[in-house]
Amino acid sequence: MTANRVERASKKKRRTPILLIVVPIVLVAVAALVILLLQGGEVPILGGEEKPVPAFDFTVKRSVAVATAADADVQALAPEAEAVGTEITPTIDDLYTNAFIDPSNWESGDYEEAFAAFTPDAAAAAEQNLDSLTLGATAGDDFESVDPGKGVLSYEVLFDLDGNPDTAVVSVRFTALGERTDGTFVQIVSEGQYFLRDLDGWQITAFDVTRSDEETEPPSPSVAASPS
Amino acid sequence: MTQPSSRRRIALVGVLVVAWVAGSVLGAAPRPRTAAAAPLFQLEPAHASFVPVLDGSEPIFVLLIGSDARPGEDVAATRADSLHILAINPAKAKATIVGIPRDSYVEIPGQGQNKINSAMFFGGPELVVETVEELTGITLDYWALTGFKTFSAMVNGVDGLMVDVPFAMDDDFSEAFFEPGLQRLDGHQALAFARNRHDLLAGDFGRSENQGLLMVSALTQFKREFTKDPGRMLIWVSSFLRHAQTTVALDDLMDLVFTATTISPKRVVNAVFPGSNAMVGTTSVVNLDPAAVQAISRDLENDGLLKVANIPPSPNAPQAGEA
Repeated sequence: MTANRVERASKKKRRTPILLIVVPIVLVAVAALVILLLQGGEVPILGGEEKPVPAFDFTVKRSVAVATAADADVQALAPEAEAVGTEITPTIDDLYTNAFIDPSNWESGDYEEAFAAFTPDAAAAAEQNLDSLTLGATAGDDFESVDPGKGVLSYEVLFDLDGNPDTAVVSVRFTALGERTDGTFVQIVSEGQYFLRDLDGWQITAFDVTRSDEETEPPSPSVAASPS
Repeated sequence: MTQPSSRRRIALVGVLVVAWVAGSVLGAAPRPRTAAAAPLFQLEPAHASFVPVLDGSEPIFVLLIGSDARPGEDVAATRADSLHILAINPAKAKATIVGIPRDSYVEIPGQGQNKINSAMFFGGPELVVETVEELTGITLDYWALTGFKTFSAMVNGVDGLMVDVPFAMDDDFSEAFFEPGLQRLDGHQALAFARNRHDLLAGDFGRSENQGLLMVSALTQFKREFTKDPGRMLIWVSSFLRHAQTTVALDDLMDLVFTATTISPKRVVNAVFPGSNAMVGTTSVVNLDPAAVQAISRDLENDGLLKVANIPPSPNAPQAGEA
């Protein structure tokens, strides 16, 4: 046996058995997982952390028919106005879900999906006003989470001379509780109106919307522990 | 037998797994709340608005016709006692109103010379359009027509109009009894204000200007209401269409109304074709100033706007100055 071989054999004897390394690691990992699960957290998946999208639907408060024909029976148009509201509401649900609620949108600051129902001109204008119409271009840096609150819609539907719905104005009030990355909370309120016209399907042609954030107290623990 | 490099990899992966899991646990743990220590405050609201306005450089011309039809009469087959060309320049967000005195003695296509207001009696709104086009050389894009009753109902449909009455009025014929100043006129009062002629120093010219003033007042009020509540636009569109006959299709009307939201009432010129009172036989008529009519028409046709040099003096200015 040469000197080198003797040295290598000596080192080999000093190495720690593999089990002494692996076992503690596994134990720590399992313990950590147990703690995580006990706290009700979600186990992240390697390579892509997908936060769930909180469910949200607006409530329709009222739908009013507005006639243009001199001899129109506005009462008779009321059911049609309600039907228009029912038809449009999912579009507004999607708008606010994509603009304020879906983490994959606000974390990336990409709200293209939110403006899917806008006419090209309106969408271009909306893209210039992300801080008003969405959670904002930098929401991923600003917010930790967003929980939708109440959402109420009211419709006014303009009927053409033949009694067909032509234009709808939807008044929106949307609230959400945002937890900012600094640990503070804000009540997010989006209020305003969207004009929609039936252009091979209802499209948003105009809007007048204000977003206001008001710092608020942290929610009670029961609310904080159960994001919807 | 495990090689030393394999052991190192296992150890490294193990450490990463621990770090990942531990990090997740720490990340999922509730963070300390600090909001209670800070005073509550309202962040600056962020506002966004967009309206699909027309932006073409070509002016849009609308002939606004007021019929003198009494209840039971066909508004489109009586006399056109109120005539105004409304010119809109979308690109510049400006507009011009040019009133045509009802007694203007002009050529009516197929009817010879007569008072312009008789054109509707002879051939409905279409002949009025032809007559004005022949007088001015301007191609009119649309017309809109109301009568006494429908005009009054239209104004009531938007809950009245705020009008800055330029001088006191006390006229039994039209029932125009007003103190000067800003006031809300209901449909009946707005009609009286629009009809008052006997009480005006400038007679028919002054009346035509006051009718233009009602239009500017309507724009002012519409814009104010739209700013507060854009949904009010539907009420205005509804009130107009329910009480007027028009060739403006609903789609075009929506475009025009959205465009109106960008036009400042202060940038609307309210003018009246100048002329002089005259007699043809036993009939009192207005002889328009042909040079002024041509100058105004050519200028208006170009871009829907009037150069300052082509804006005629206000017929009511002397009376308003007395107020």
